[in-house]
Amino acid sequence: MQTVGQQLIITAIPALPALVFFVLALFGRLLKESAQYVAILGVTISLVFSAFALLFVAGIVPGGGAPIEFAVNWINLGAGGNFSMGVYIDGLAAVMLVVVSFVSLMIQLYSGAFMEGDKRFAWFYAVLNLFTASMLGLVLAPNFIQLYVFWELVGLCSYLLVGHWFEKPSARDAAMKAFIVTRIGDAALFVGIIIFWATTGSVAFSDISLAAQSGFIGGSLFTTAVILVFVGAVGKSAQFPLHVWLPDAMEGPTPVSALIHAATMVAAGVYLVARTYDIFVQSPTAMLTVAYIGGFTALMAATMALVKRDIKRVIAYSTVSQLGYMMLGLGIGNYTGGIFHLYNHAFFKALLFLCAGSIIYAMNSYNLFEMGGLRRRMPITFWAMVIAGLSLSGIFPFSGFWSKDSIVASAYDEHYYLLFGMALLTVFMTAFYIFRAIFLAFTGEPRTQGAREAGESPGIMTGPMMLLAFLSIVSGWVGIPPGLGIPIPDYFDEFVHPSEFAVSTLNIEEPSFSFVLAAISVVVALLGIGLAYALYVARPELAGTLASRFSWLHKFLDKGWYFDALYGATFVRFAMWLGKATRGFDRNVIGGAVSGVGRGATGTGSLLQRLQSGGVQNYALFILLSVLIIGIVVGAQYAVIVVGLIVLITAAAFAVGTRL
Amino acid sequence: MTLVSALGVVLSRSVVHSALFMSGSFLGISGYFVMLNAPALAAFQVLIYVGAVTVVILFGIMFTQKPQVRRYRTIINRQFWAGFLVAAGVGCFLAYVLAAENWGDTKAGNGPREVAAFGRDLLGVSQGAEIFTLLFEVASVLLLVAVVAAIVVSRRKMGQGVDRGVRE
Amino acid sequence: MPGVPVQVQQFIDALVSAPPLEGYLVVGAFLFAIGAWGALIRRNAVVIFMCVELMINGVNLTLVAFADYLPGAGGLGVSYAVLVIAIAAAEIAVGLAIVLAVFRSRRTVNVDEVTSMRG
Repeated sequence: MQTVGQQLIITAIPALPALVFFVLALFGRLLKESAQYVAILGVTISLVFSAFALLFVAGIVPGGGAPIEFAVNWINLGAGGNFSMGVYIDGLAAVMLVVVSFVSLMIQLYSGAFMEGDKRFAWFYAVLNLFTASMLGLVLAPNFIQLYVFWELVGLCSYLLVGHWFEKPSARDAAMKAFIVTRIGDAALFVGIIIFWATTGSVAFSDISLAAQSGFIGGSLFTTAVILVFVGAVGKSAQFPLHVWLPDAMEGPTPVSALIHAATMVAAGVYLVARTYDIFVQSPTAMLTVAYIGGFTALMAATMALVKRDIKRVIAYSTVSQLGYMMLGLGIGNYTGGIFHLYNHAFFKALLFLCAGSIIYAMNSYNLFEMGGLRRRMPITFWAMVIAGLSLSGIFPFSGFWSKDSIVASAYDEHYYLLFGMALLTVFMTAFYIFRAIFLAFTGEPRTQGAREAGESPGIMTGPMMLLAFLSIVSGWVGIPPGLGIPIPDYFDEFVHPSEFAVSTLNIEEPSFSFVLAAISVVVALLGIGLAYALYVARPELAGTLASRFSWLHKFLDKGWYFDALYGATFVRFAMWLGKATRGFDRNVIGGAVSGVGRGATGTGSLLQRLQSGGVQNYALFILLSVLIIGIVVGAQYAVIVVGLIVLITAAAFAVGTRL
Repeated sequence: MTLVSALGVVLSRSVVHSALFMSGSFLGISGYFVMLNAPALAAFQVLIYVGAVTVVILFGIMFTQKPQVRRYRTIINRQFWAGFLVAAGVGCFLAYVLAAENWGDTKAGNGPREVAAFGRDLLGVSQGAEIFTLLFEVASVLLLVAVVAAIVVSRRKMGQGVDRGVRE
Repeated sequence: MPGVPVQVQQFIDALVSAPPLEGYLVVGAFLFAIGAWGALIRRNAVVIFMCVELMINGVNLTLVAFADYLPGAGGLGVSYAVLVIAIAAAEIAVGLAIVLAVFRSRRTVNVDEVTSMRG
């Protein structure tokens, strides 16, 4: 990056939304509803600059073609204490920049109508922009410390946004849960960073990767550090076992769920693994851990989504599941496939959330079983959701197909047959649950008055939805693998690929496109859709019967495999006990000591107060007594007299005490 | 006699009796002064104390008259025994210290026996007593101020009625 | 005097000879103490004044005793005693004026009842 102007442009990408945050935080009360215009302006400029960065790295802008990197020295404590803040944009980062800023822009347009009339409208936009700024900063980070700073900021914004309607106790609890659970991951991440820093003296990704290659870091220590970093990703991306916060985070406004819990923040975990891929590939154990946790999470979350009533929770579990897919892809070595899915998923998942929001806006209800027959009443929403659902299920030629198929196929090709089976089963369930939701909401007859009266949402909401729907179809077409005979080159693969080093370490051959596997996954998905149709459109009563026949299974899935109960009984109970004990100690011991000092002073004061009787003779008595005492003390050589007079004084003191 | 009169001052139930005991005590002191070779001072003591001060006190008693009391409780406050102990302590202590101290070569007869010598001492004329010139003047001013203050303080304010004297 | 036993003569001699210095001092000390005691226990303000006078006299006695017995003092203690008397007189004057003023406003000279400074 040669010119200062270009550097400024890149720096402005995260800086502009941050500036918007400050402006809105300070002047939000004045701006009220106009805050959205300021915010949208900021994000649009960020998007334009991100697009510029993308084109630069892609080589389309003259002077580019290579990753952008520049940095300034931030803290310099000598050898090993050198930290810099900088920018590193390669293909991966450039794509993320565009995705984040684009989806953020869509959400902010959408929120103009959705959050209309909200008490803290401007603050909502302010934090939304802070979040955007943090996510962009995270993506740009060239070293662990900068990444961690923005990682935490992103977590903070998630807390603030999930708890935006903090008047609701459930929202407060959900925000705290999100923050605390991801905190566990963050702590692990930090320990991992410390280990890397301690052994190599640097926190930059490239340095650590090189150091690991040269054997600076011992075998098991290295694997531990890498796995700890992965635990951080697990927390942020809501993988097993730290997945419990994401469904609860649906208490936040729907645009928040769309932005944070679909497209961006939860993607940060996947991004972390991808960014540190060079480090990850050096530990086969870590790679396997990533893959299996990803696969298991995908399966587990999909089962939980099967029985949910709340439309947002269905989509939330879907997010967890799809993130599992991405981790799976990364873990088995399909870097491009994992990131490709991340990119596609951002669009159709955000769209799904926006559709849900549209329904909620129209009907003021989350419950699937209160909807019905919305197809005629909300056509745009209906078609958008169908498109998103097809993309999610991986039906050809929607975008989801290309990335999902890539991952599933590579699982088979790399001989991870267990993971292949899990992935395929998940495909089936994914298709089923999303179309269950769609059929319940849009087909049949309205089940409640609210559903009967629902109307389409305003244009500023449907506009972004349509745009995202379009992208949900075509975004996958930049990554069509060559073997299909379609003459569009695989741009994505060229642009976003693992480094030479990673490729050589993984030693994976680039597989050719397999029609069979593609067909299998499409068929499985269609079966899922068919089953959903059967259960919810053709024979709705069958669903009810199944639910009561297998009520124990239904309950198990509905309660999220009882994870919440398990965590609640163990960690939460312990933490609450510890909190209560500490509070008791603070209140009684420390507080008691402090107020005890006060009471002591007051008590002594009231005792001494009785000395001030107001009687002059009383005072004179004391004076004379004191003179006597002084005299005794001074004339201490008269020992005999002293003894005698001490007796006298003691008697006098007693007399004084009792008389008074 | 001096000490007995002093006790009488303290323990007498009648205020007038206390005043008379007080003047008795003064007379005793004056006798001591004579024995201490200071006859002029003795004369002063009698004139001022027994004469003027006693009269003033009696005037004060007259103006603030109270009926004669029957019980000691009315004239003695609660500090009786405490005061006794403290005062006895102070007294014994002082007495002992003063008596036990070695005052060096003492000999009676140093006081100004003649009035002329006494006068010269008091007015600061004799050798070694120069400071008394100033002290004498200061004392005069002090007396003046005291007289004025006494008058000012005891003035009747506007609107205050005639002093009826007896309370009930 | 002839015709009296030796002890009696000694007694009479003792009677007329000058008492020791300590005697005067002890009397002065006790006079002071009695005055102090009275000042502490009597309720009538005028009586308290009288006791204060007793204290002053006790001190005067001590002063004059020293003046007579200590050769180095030059007999000046007597002059000091005169000044003390003057000051005591002034004090009585002002003090009684105050007592009168208090009596006028509160109709009492009982110091126990003048306790505005209670705290």
